[in-house]
Amino acid sequence: MKRAGFIASFLAPAVLLYAALVVYPLIQALTFSTYQWRGVSAKRKFVGLENFQTLARDNDFIRSVTNNLGLLAGAGIVVVAVSLIVAHLTAGPGRSAKLLRGFSLVPQMVSLVAVAVLWQFIFNPEGLLNATLRGIGLGTWTRTWLGDPRFALGSVGVAFAWYAVGFYALLFGAGLRNIPAEVTEAAALDGSKGWHQFANITWPMLWSVKRTAITYLVINVMNTFALVFLMTRGGPDRASEVMLTYLYEQAFQNSKFGYATAVAVGNFAVAMLLSLGILFFLRKDPTSSRRSA
Amino acid sequence: MSLSGQFRPVWFASLALATALLAGCSSSSEKSTSASADKPAELSGPLEVVAFKGGYGIDQYEKAAKEFGEKHPGLEIKVAGDPRVWEQLRPRLVAGNPPDLMFPGWDMDVWGLIEEEQLKPLDEALDQPAADGTGTWRDTFDPNVLKLGQKDGKTYLLPYYVMTYGWWHDPGLFAKNGWKVPATYPELLTLCEKIKAKGVAPITYQGQYPYYMIEGMLLPWAASIGGIAAVNAAQNLEPGAWKSPAMLQAATMIDDLNKKGYLQAGAVGMSHTESQTQFLNGKAAMIPCGSWLQSEMEKSIPKGVKLEFFLPPTVPSGVGDPTAVLIGVEPWMVPTDAKNPTAAIELFRYMTSLPKAKEFTETKGTLMAIKGSDEVKLPEVLVKPAAAMKSANTLWSNQFRSWYKAAEKDIEGALTSLLNGQITPAEFTERCEAAAEKTRNDKSIAKYKVS
Repeated sequence: MKRAGFIASFLAPAVLLYAALVVYPLIQALTFSTYQWRGVSAKRKFVGLENFQTLARDNDFIRSVTNNLGLLAGAGIVVVAVSLIVAHLTAGPGRSAKLLRGFSLVPQMVSLVAVAVLWQFIFNPEGLLNATLRGIGLGTWTRTWLGDPRFALGSVGVAFAWYAVGFYALLFGAGLRNIPAEVTEAAALDGSKGWHQFANITWPMLWSVKRTAITYLVINVMNTFALVFLMTRGGPDRASEVMLTYLYEQAFQNSKFGYATAVAVGNFAVAMLLSLGILFFLRKDPTSSRRSA
Repeated sequence: MSLSGQFRPVWFASLALATALLAGCSSSSEKSTSASADKPAELSGPLEVVAFKGGYGIDQYEKAAKEFGEKHPGLEIKVAGDPRVWEQLRPRLVAGNPPDLMFPGWDMDVWGLIEEEQLKPLDEALDQPAADGTGTWRDTFDPNVLKLGQKDGKTYLLPYYVMTYGWWHDPGLFAKNGWKVPATYPELLTLCEKIKAKGVAPITYQGQYPYYMIEGMLLPWAASIGGIAAVNAAQNLEPGAWKSPAMLQAATMIDDLNKKGYLQAGAVGMSHTESQTQFLNGKAAMIPCGSWLQSEMEKSIPKGVKLEFFLPPTVPSGVGDPTAVLIGVEPWMVPTDAKNPTAAIELFRYMTSLPKAKEFTETKGTLMAIKGSDEVKLPEVLVKPAAAMKSANTLWSNQFRSWYKAAEKDIEGALTSLLNGQITPAEFTERCEAAAEKTRNDKSIAKYKVS
């Protein structure tokens, strides 16, 4: 009994902090989403689940969820693939590997706002990308990247990938260094190298890093706001609208704070479901099952 | 790469609730209004002014407050400003602790404030004498401008500076090429062909913010074709008004300019500053914009480039008033929970007195809502807007944009799709009508009428 109290006294500060800073605001959000509230006075009206009923039928919200998922599928795969390549290239002890490791992290040190402005310049109709295309004789490929509904979301995805790769390369790099040298050496002795080694040894053994990285990536993409807001404002005609820019619009432009909180709850639910799905999908450590077999 | 974004709305909500709870606890007994006095009581106590700090800064408000404070030594006046002041004011309004006098800027939902009874009706004050003692305060304002802040016959929002919307060109560039400012749409088409032949884009626009085009082309042209009644009907959400023949023709005119290659390629994806820079650098010959253009772009105007205003070209076959001018205001107001409303009103009465209004026009280069305030040596850029306003038989404003933001957003999206060639003008007006109908049927949205 004494021991339990002792343990509780150590756990209490963390639990209390977590409750105050995470659980309480979440409950608050759930409460707010059942109100109609303009956010300009203390007056609000209880509407029950009406906001959620509207949300389920709101084509603009559904579009923003689809865009978030599209961004995840497109930019997510690119980020994982490129950061794995970068991690491999920078895994060595050489000076060039170190240099590359440093370079790949530079975008992470730039504020997201600056990243958005930079890519806005690149994608500008008179910007770097179109100028380069013209310069190499591909003038017919030039586009209004951010103003064209076919390319706006993809363009934001490119900016996101550019920004995010460094961080995930760092994660995967740490994972690679954690793979015991004897395992790769033994595999090499057995004749496994190149893609075979990656597919059968490295990729499975990156399991825990992979799990963390993908979960984190999902949360990151679901919470995209600044890049979209600054580069396209969700346009043209909602072609690049994501959940959080839609939330912002509902709250701060349309003064529908209750509804905006319902969007936040929706956003939370989508991110949560996806994260749980990934944790479930990647629940088994492939290396441990092999060991027990 | 932070997780904080996920919880931001939650944080905001909890913060707002906390402030709301605090408001409930605090006493509101300090309110003291002495409006009944024949002989006004001497003003005293703290007086807090919070203003939008945009292109015109807040130095003129600070100066006026200082002068006013010298006349009323009992007052402790504090003036504060911020470029995103509406964000700071929202939680204060929720908490019932707003400033005494506020100018919350263009992104505050001022009509929401009126709906929530957060603003004081100012008619009683307006019917009292003006600052110079002759006539009422109300009479010193241009009535066309004053009515933009009224609901159900009560005035909640007071105008200060007035913006005019139209088109801009560089007279030097025009003279050099022998181009003439187009007064009508057919003249515009002829001119665009000439400009295009020179390798210059005839017209650029702020594609990321489609309301510039709505207010620079769509609505003025609909008004020129069908008369101001056509636009009023649309603003009043009358069934069918957004797909009226006038609106359809106006949309078709935009589509024609686009298809003929007269609108700058790629402008649909440009921000306001990007497109305005294109214009200033001579890549495009004309741009629709409000009278703030010069002050907004001051630092980017190349040497030798001058900006001159002209009204959107009119449609000769239309029934509309060719002198009509579209105007806009960014209003000032006194919150219901202001602790020193009397002093706030008196300070604003002083700020809108003729000498102070003239001073603002001269130093900041903007027109004012106060009659006679343009009788000063106007900055060059203001000469044309002032002349247009003076000779206008119709002054009107696009209030739809601030009344019905969700519908406005739908219409803006539809316009972008029209410019991207994804929908036809008829489909565009159908989408506008659908947006208006959705608003019409939404009981949670308060409805307004153009007065």
